[in-house]
Amino acid sequence: MKNNNWLKWSAYAVAGLIVAGCATYPDQATTKQMAEKMVFEGFTYSAEHKSRLVQDRSQQICSKIGDEKLTQAEAAEVVKLARASIKFPASGKLVGDWKTGDKLAHNGAGDRIRNGKEESRKENGALCQNCHALAPGEINVGNVGPPLTGYGKQRGNSEAIAKYTYEKIYNAWMYFPCSNMPRLGATEHLTPEQITHVVAFLIDPQSPINK
Amino acid sequence: MEKMRSIGLALGAVALFAMAAPAMSQGNDLSVGRKMLVEDNPGDLWIDIGKELFYQKRGPKKASLEQCDFGLGAGKLEGAAARMPRYFADTDRVEDLESRLLTCMTRLQGFDRKGLVKQAISRPRSKGSDIEALALYITSRSNGMKVNVTLSHQKEYDMYKAGEYLFYRRSGQTDFGCVQCHGEPDKRIRLQDLINMTSKAGAQEVASTWPAYRGAHYVVRTMQWRLNDCVWQMRLPDLEYGTDYSIALTTFLNHRGNDAVMQVPGFKR
Ligand code: HEC
Ligand code: HEC
Repeated sequence: MKNNNWLKWSAYAVAGLIVAGCATYPDQATTKQMAEKMVFEGFTYSAEHKSRLVQDRSQQICSKIGDEKLTQAEAAEVVKLARASIKFPASGKLVGDWKTGDKLAHNGAGDRIRNGKEESRKENGALCQNCHALAPGEINVGNVGPPLTGYGKQRGNSEAIAKYTYEKIYNAWMYFPCSNMPRLGATEHLTPEQITHVVAFLIDPQSPINK
Repeated sequence: MEKMRSIGLALGAVALFAMAAPAMSQGNDLSVGRKMLVEDNPGDLWIDIGKELFYQKRGPKKASLEQCDFGLGAGKLEGAAARMPRYFADTDRVEDLESRLLTCMTRLQGFDRKGLVKQAISRPRSKGSDIEALALYITSRSNGMKVNVTLSHQKEYDMYKAGEYLFYRRSGQTDFGCVQCHGEPDKRIRLQDLINMTSKAGAQEVASTWPAYRGAHYVVRTMQWRLNDCVWQMRLPDLEYGTDYSIALTTFLNHRGNDAVMQVPGFKR
C-alpha cells in the first residue's frame, strides 16, 4: 500500500516536472526514435550499403543497453533465428582445406567501406585472428574471444565436432545468443565454402593450430 | 616557411623514434613505451599552428575566430573545450568542438562547409588540417582542468541518451556495436589494447586525451577521426563529419568521463 502511494506521488512529481518544462532524460521510445534518425542521417551510403545500418531482428534483440539482460524468450528467439539461418555448402562437405583456412583465419580484411567503395579483394578475410589466439606461439592475436589453440587436439575431428564448428562460425548466436562473436556466415561476410576451410584449420590434426 | 621546415625536421626525428618504438614495447609492459613517448609529444608542434590559425584573419570574410563562442563567451577559450559537447543557442543544437568550429568557420569566416569537411581529416604524414590544429589549440587551453560536461538543456539530455543507445547498437556484417570492443577490461584486437569505456576510468581516458598525436600517422588526430576509424572497422558506410551520430557518442563518453584532468595532445599508437 505504502509502496503504491509512493509510486503515485512520484508519478505526479514527474508529470509536474514535464509541465514545468524541466529538462530530463527522454524515455526509451523517444531515445530510440532520435538515435535511429541519427544513424540514417550520420552516414553517406548507397542503396546497397544502407543494409549495413538497418538492424535485423536478432541485432535489435542483441543491442541491450547497459546491464539490461536478455529475457529467456528473447534468447530463444535469437537461437531459433540462428538455426534457421544456417546454410550448408553445395558439396555437403563441411571440412575443407586447412591451408586455405589458415590464410583466411589470419586475414582481417574485407567488406570495409571508404569513400563509398568497398575495399577490392578477391575474397573477405575470416577475421579470427583479430579476436582469437590461433597456432601456439603467435603473438599478434586478439583476446576478445577464447583461445582456439589446440582446438582439434582437445575435441577431435568427428563429424559432430565438424558440424558444431561449422555452425558456430556460420552463426555463433545459435550456441550463445547475442555473444560478441559476429555471425560470419549468416551476415554473408563469409561464404559456406570459406567456412569449411576454416573448420579444417580448426580440427585437422595436420593444422598448425593442433601442433 | 621557416616554421614548416622545422616541423619537417622534427617529424624526421619522430619517424626515427617511432621506428625504434616497436622494439621498446616488446617488454611485458606496453605502457612503458607509451609513457616515455608522451614526455616528448610531437603533437605539441601543432598547438602553435592552431594558435596562429585562430588569431589570423582568414576566409572570404577576413575574420579571426576571436568572435567565436565556445560556450563561455566570444573568444573565451580557458576551460571551454572541457565542457563540450554542449548546447548552443545560436544554432539551437548540441555541438562538439569540431562541429562548433565548422559553425564558426562558416558563419564568421565565410568558409564553405563542404570544403572544410572534405579536408577536416588530413592524410597520414601530411602537415595536418586546419581543423585538427585549431581543435588541438583550443583544447590545450583546458589542459590541467577537469572535464565537466553537464547536462542541463533538454537537447543535452537527449544527446546523452542517444549516445548511450548508439554505443550498444549492433548492425552490419560484423554485428558490432561499440560495446563489443569497448565493454570489457583488458581486451585486445590483435595487439591493440581496447579501452573499456563502460568503466569510469576508461571514459575518463577518452574524454581527456583528444585531440591526440597518432604515432602511426605522424599527425594530430581528433575524436571525429577516431570514431570514423572505428566505424570503418565495423564495416559501416562513411561517417559524415560533424553529424549528430558522432556528437551523441562524444556527449555520452565525455559526460561519463567527467572529472578527468585534461591533457592534450594525447599520444596514441
Ligand atoms: C569480434 C570477435 C570475434 C571474431 C572476429 C571471431 N570470434 Fe570466435 N568467439 C568470439 C567470442 C567473444 C566467443 C565466445 C562467445 C561465443 O561462444 O560466442 C567466441 C567463440 C568461438 C568459438 C567457440 C569456442 C568453444 O569453446 O566452443 C569458436 C569455435 C570460435 N569462436 C571460432 C571462431 C573462428 C574460426 C573465427 C573466424 C572465422 C572467429 N571465431 C571469429 C569472438 C570472435
Ligand atoms: C572491431 C573493434 C572496434 C569497434 C566495434 C569499435 N572500436 Fe573503438 N577502437 C578500436 C581499436 C582497435 C582502437 C584503437 C586502439 C589502439 O590504437 O591501440 C579503438 C579506439 C577507440 C577510441 C580511442 C580510445 C583512446 O585511446 O582514447 C575511441 C574513443 C573509440 N575507439 C570509440 C569507439 C566507438 C564510440 C565505437 C562505436 C561507434 C567504437 N569505438 C567501436 C576497436 C573498435
